[in-house]
Amino acid sequence: MKSRYALVSIAIVALLSACGVIRGDDEGSKGGAQAPGVTTEPCPSAVDTKKGCIYLGTVSDLTSGPFAALAVPITDAQKAFWARVNKAGGIGGRYEVDVTKYVKDNKYNPEVHRQVYNEIKDQVLGLAQTLGSPTTAAIIGDLKANSIVAAPASWTSAWEFEDVIIETGSNYCVEAMNSVDYAVETYKPKSVMAVHLAGDYGADAAAGAKVAAERNKLTFTNVETPSGATEQGRAITEITKNKPDLVILTTGPADAATIVGQTAAAGYKGRFIGTGPTWNPALLQSPAAPALKALYEQSAPGKPWDADTPGHKAMREALPGVTPNDGYTSGWAWAYPMKAALDKMVSGGDVSRKGLLAAVKTLTSVDYEGMLPPEAGNYADASGASVFRQTLINKVDDKATTGVTIAKDFFVGPTAQAYTFDGPCYTKL
Amino acid sequence: MKGLLETVIRGLGNGSVYALLALGFVIIYKATRVISFAQPALMLAGAVAVSYLAGVTGFYLAVLLSALLIAGVALAIERVAIRPMVGRPVFVVAIITLGIDVVVRVVVNGFIGRDVRQVGDPWGFTQVSLGPLVVQSRWLAMLLVTAVLVTLLFAFFRHTRYGLAMRAAAFDQETALAQGVSVGAVFALSWGLAGFLAAIAGMFVGTGQGIEQMTWVIALKALPAIIVGGLDSLGGAVAGGLIVGVVESLFQSYQGEFAPWLGQNFAIVSPYVVMLIVLLVKPYGLFGTREVERV
Repeated sequence: MKSRYALVSIAIVALLSACGVIRGDDEGSKGGAQAPGVTTEPCPSAVDTKKGCIYLGTVSDLTSGPFAALAVPITDAQKAFWARVNKAGGIGGRYEVDVTKYVKDNKYNPEVHRQVYNEIKDQVLGLAQTLGSPTTAAIIGDLKANSIVAAPASWTSAWEFEDVIIETGSNYCVEAMNSVDYAVETYKPKSVMAVHLAGDYGADAAAGAKVAAERNKLTFTNVETPSGATEQGRAITEITKNKPDLVILTTGPADAATIVGQTAAAGYKGRFIGTGPTWNPALLQSPAAPALKALYEQSAPGKPWDADTPGHKAMREALPGVTPNDGYTSGWAWAYPMKAALDKMVSGGDVSRKGLLAAVKTLTSVDYEGMLPPEAGNYADASGASVFRQTLINKVDDKATTGVTIAKDFFVGPTAQAYTFDGPCYTKL
Repeated sequence: MKGLLETVIRGLGNGSVYALLALGFVIIYKATRVISFAQPALMLAGAVAVSYLAGVTGFYLAVLLSALLIAGVALAIERVAIRPMVGRPVFVVAIITLGIDVVVRVVVNGFIGRDVRQVGDPWGFTQVSLGPLVVQSRWLAMLLVTAVLVTLLFAFFRHTRYGLAMRAAAFDQETALAQGVSVGAVFALSWGLAGFLAAIAGMFVGTGQGIEQMTWVIALKALPAIIVGGLDSLGGAVAGGLIVGVVESLFQSYQGEFAPWLGQNFAIVSPYVVMLIVLLVKPYGLFGTREVERV
């Protein structure tokens, strides 16, 4: 009997630990310096040792979390981006930027995210990357309290209302609205189902799909599904039973492949449009590949790896020899607003967290070197009125480097055009 | 009715995988009185080995070689990390197996990389017709292979010298030792068998959807299975695994229709609810041995 108790106790501990409930204590903050993360000493791998250094932190899903396949390329692309900036003279001719010294793994766990953020926050001016919506939500209060500007690696609509977050590209809510509008125009569906993970990634897109479905007078159903390819049985059953004409997917790539592959095998013939993170080029080697080619399209906030813009070209040149992945593309694009804000801060003379935040608040456009329209970088108004609303639709193409090519270039659907953002979408699902 | 039967077959297919994992837990428990929490890592390692070997040797040979390889790994783990702990409290050994699980997974994750790996199975998402029923062929493969393995395993325990030795050691270690049974060999054999079964289970988990670093979590579903079936019953492990698979599948298909008030995705916790109900009614599981304690 004792061993039975032991088993149950250990099983509970293992489960709680796996779910991230049991973790070590957080480290407290260690007190701030005058201008944290800015030194007159050169960066560790400085191009020009006469310049000072601005340190930016990175908190990303680098090893075992569900988005590691995207997060590692995002982080590598940003290292390459800032190396290119430094080679080209740095920031205002006075500083170079280091994003290599304070890189931490969040394991896509909000608790861990907060813990590792606390470890580095006194050493950095801002964050070059804070990956994930629920994870960043765990530190947003502290970012605001300390005026720490951060570039997110997620597209939730909550960031439209936070002036310390410099988001790039449309949020999941807009993306799903545009996807439904695109499908209405192309496939004339009568019913739409949102199959999504819980929280401000999945629910944000589902809320957008719901708004667009109501506007287009489509019947809407909402199926929340857990993460994990083997856990998709219910989502598959709901799709094959209800046979919606259109499914908006907001899951991880393995989940998406399982859902599309198994429903297609069961005879489902409707259309799937998945948000950006539902795609991974490795899915072309999976048994779901024929179904993905036949039924699936990817909505995206930016153009894929192969696109012909100066920004994409610079990225490809800065990352020779890598296996192409649109994590690189997103990571590279996310860095432009931070560069624009740093330039403005240094030229304004107030090199500090407050100076950087003040610079962000005056940015009405950002030069993305053609990767995104300049108006995507409008941070002067955090009320929701300036929300960027253009997204693309990609189709699966096994000849393309990252497995997708553009099916419809940047567009705004009528739903997103007319929608008034007065709060994060996911709260309204 | 057709939908119900298809749901049950899906449940039996997935349940077979849980049964293979549960058998590994029970075999080690019976021999050593320790719950080995290294099973998830061995399962993942088996699937990864198949994904690498399938391209070289073909799928079926890869499965056999991988299962033997993981059995070898399990033997090595037992010899290096578990055998020196004989005589220590079982709780301590169980904690050591948790550590082994983490170490093995870290190594295996290096081989998985960051993308989804395919095991190269011949089934994919293909379907077959069983009269009016249409079911995925991989579920039938899971069910069939598990049935064969379970039959072989039971025959091994019943008709071979080593099987007899394992049963004797499980019944009374000291007496078995006095009768000339090498209890050390029994420990090793139990780990080897558990590793073999975990590798086959891992391969099946990877069919269709592939494997990624988080796939190990599936193995935790064997825990309610062994409690439901009874911690020291091989037949119970099989029954428990199948029950967990079918219950989960039924909840996935019908809970939204008949019990929407339970919220979305109750299927995830349904095996644990079954476990609690069984514990309330039969504290030693459906087929477990009632322990008699003198006070």
